Amino acid sequence: MTEADPQPGTRRSARTEILENRPVQLDGFVEEWPEVGMIAMESPYDPDPSIRVEDGRIVEMDGRERADFDFIDQFIADYAIDVGSAEEAMALDAAEIAHRIVDPGVARADVLALTRGLTPAKLLRVVESMNVVEIMMAMQKMRARRTPANQAHSTSARDNPVQVVADAAEAALRGFAELETTLGVVRYAPLVAIALQIGAQTGRGGVITQCALEEATELALGMRGITAYAETISVYGTEAVFTDGDDTPWSKSFLASAYASRGIKMRFTSGTGAEVQMGDADGKSMLYLEIRCIQVAKGAGVQGLQNGSISCIAVPGSVPSGIRAVAAENLVASMLDLECASGNDQSFSHSPMRRTARTMPQLLPGTDFVVSGYSGVPNYDNMFAGSNWDPEDYDDWNTIQRDLKVDGGLRHVAEKDILATRERAIRALQAVFAHLDLPEITDEEVEAGTYAHGSEELPRRDVREDLKAAQAVMDRGITGLDLVAALEKGGFRDIAENLLSVLRQRVSGDLLQTSAILDHQLQVLSAVNDANDYAGPGTGYRPSGERWEEMKKLRHVISAENPEKEVE
Amino acid sequence: MVQDQSTDRTLDLREGGEAARGDREDEVVLGLSPAFGAFFTQTISHVPLVEVLREVMAGAEEQGVELRVVRVKNTADLAKIAHGAARLAGSGIGIGILSRGTSMIHQKDLAKLSSLELFPQAPLLDLETFRAIGSNAAQYARGESPEPVPVRNDYLSRPRYQAKAALLHLKETEFVEPSGGIVELEVSISRARAS
Repeated sequence: MTEADPQPGTRRSARTEILENRPVQLDGFVEEWPEVGMIAMESPYDPDPSIRVEDGRIVEMDGRERADFDFIDQFIADYAIDVGSAEEAMALDAAEIAHRIVDPGVARADVLALTRGLTPAKLLRVVESMNVVEIMMAMQKMRARRTPANQAHSTSARDNPVQVVADAAEAALRGFAELETTLGVVRYAPLVAIALQIGAQTGRGGVITQCALEEATELALGMRGITAYAETISVYGTEAVFTDGDDTPWSKSFLASAYASRGIKMRFTSGTGAEVQMGDADGKSMLYLEIRCIQVAKGAGVQGLQNGSISCIAVPGSVPSGIRAVAAENLVASMLDLECASGNDQSFSHSPMRRTARTMPQLLPGTDFVVSGYSGVPNYDNMFAGSNWDPEDYDDWNTIQRDLKVDGGLRHVAEKDILATRERAIRALQAVFAHLDLPEITDEEVEAGTYAHGSEELPRRDVREDLKAAQAVMDRGITGLDLVAALEKGGFRDIAENLLSVLRQRVSGDLLQTSAILDHQLQVLSAVNDANDYAGPGTGYRPSGERWEEMKKLRHVISAENPEKEVE
Repeated sequence: MVQDQSTDRTLDLREGGEAARGDREDEVVLGLSPAFGAFFTQTISHVPLVEVLREVMAGAEEQGVELRVVRVKNTADLAKIAHGAARLAGSGIGIGILSRGTSMIHQKDLAKLSSLELFPQAPLLDLETFRAIGSNAAQYARGESPEPVPVRNDYLSRPRYQAKAALLHLKETEFVEPSGGIVELEVSISRARAS
């Protein structure tokens, strides 16, 4: 299967044969080509840091005069950099800034006072001076929310709402704080978004949901309260790629304010590799361009960013130090006080060892969302094109958490509880569909969906009827409140109350705080009331009490009391 | 002249003058990217480009529709290539193919970033798919609504091919001639002499 097969007649060693057949050989690796931006970081073509401020305005940044700024430079200089602290912060040596970031003795707030005055090239130099362990040390301190969390994908290759409601319920029960979906056939979105919301509130009240779509529909579903947050608002690091999508930093900021005006949580998305993948990297490294994206997010005033290469992960993953660059981009988001949903969310490697190693820089220090998201459905059903983690890895994930005593946000749940929750979620959706006069969910589907692993095991739905009904949901103006009423009338009062509590957040606006999630009591947990206070050994978030007891549970643990039995 | 190891056919592409708009109502135009058959000889997954071209042409031919081949020299953007081809076609139907295999069927009145059919995962495109692309484009040209060619999906094709696709795109971009326009191509495919 390799591309460089030996000459015919050449004898190969038996060991080479074995190595040639290892899964890692199926991954793609390429040589660096810095002139066109095919380099992760440490490129000779990235600009040197510089800044000049006149009359409270940045007139030169990273070797470029204001007259020569592109629109990203201009946006960053005018909105992302704190002009008041810029000259003092920029005067410090990059390695000195890195020391302060890594040093647990320097408070997070003191680091933020510095980083808000740095230019893209300077931020790049700061993280380039760190090795991957230092990046993790820094992330442990700089993450915005004290308690780490996790996010799942809940999609279906057939866009089957029955599958989505059951898998969303299971994912919520297993511990994910956010769930997102997207579609194969976009017109299915309203039904699948309803299923996702009801599944989430069945599994664990307060789990928030989003549906990734083109921007207008995504916003419309949010405004109706069918979803509770948004994340797929992409920004790019070169003007050419930005305008290719008919966008500018200003148009993205306008969209961000539309969400904020309705109390809907949102974050931007970006990642290393996107620009070079599009052939418009302007000869700059992937990490330099991503830092520009992170500062665009900061300048737009959004609370957070999903980054970590995301859908381009195989690009940084193919070049030297690429996965270090990905860890560094997560860190820069946290260094700028943004919520960081840190990737690990796309199929990355054929090698289970590389898949696991790639996630360690986020899992070990903890991030706001370690995986964004973890596929809550088998990868063949993953309509985000496959994740680095899927349900077949659940027990491995739980074991790694237990081995290392790190909190990756998940827990082992007994099969009977999972089955009960899946069934109840489908029953709730069945009642809601019946109440709203949407196509029937049969008892056969309830049964199949309860026990299924993926969409292959579910009865086929009448897609044409479903699509008509999906359109009707939009035409009839159905909102989150209609779902609350339908749940209540269907006898699912607790689920109705959970959903109503999530909708109430739209009015209070507390989900707009940085890194906000809802805890088990449906109270907001954010960087405001759960600020990261890491200050060295013995401080910050550490699994303890009930949570640690929960993390000790696995599918098979031999009982100490009676070694002939397993712990229940 | 380009010859690939894994086929005994050779492809000879001769550039002519600026491509004109056709007036045959059932004509489809196939737009090739700047380095197709010029620098590159095979797709991202080693399908010989001579065979790709043969299959697309055969697919159109079996529907009784004429396929005119042009070279789009001024862009490596698939949507622009396919849309440019569609605007030249008497039927308004165009096909665009990049050297790495990524393909699109376009219609001249659609928005450039839209398409009739898009085949984004180049590594999964085999000869059968290329024939079907030619056939479907021909059917659109005749005013029919064919079943879209089934699109395959493999979530592990990204780790294997994404970076190579980026390199291939960068290399293709080096062959773009911004003022080169779109030119007619004379295609001749012949069997190589036995050695």
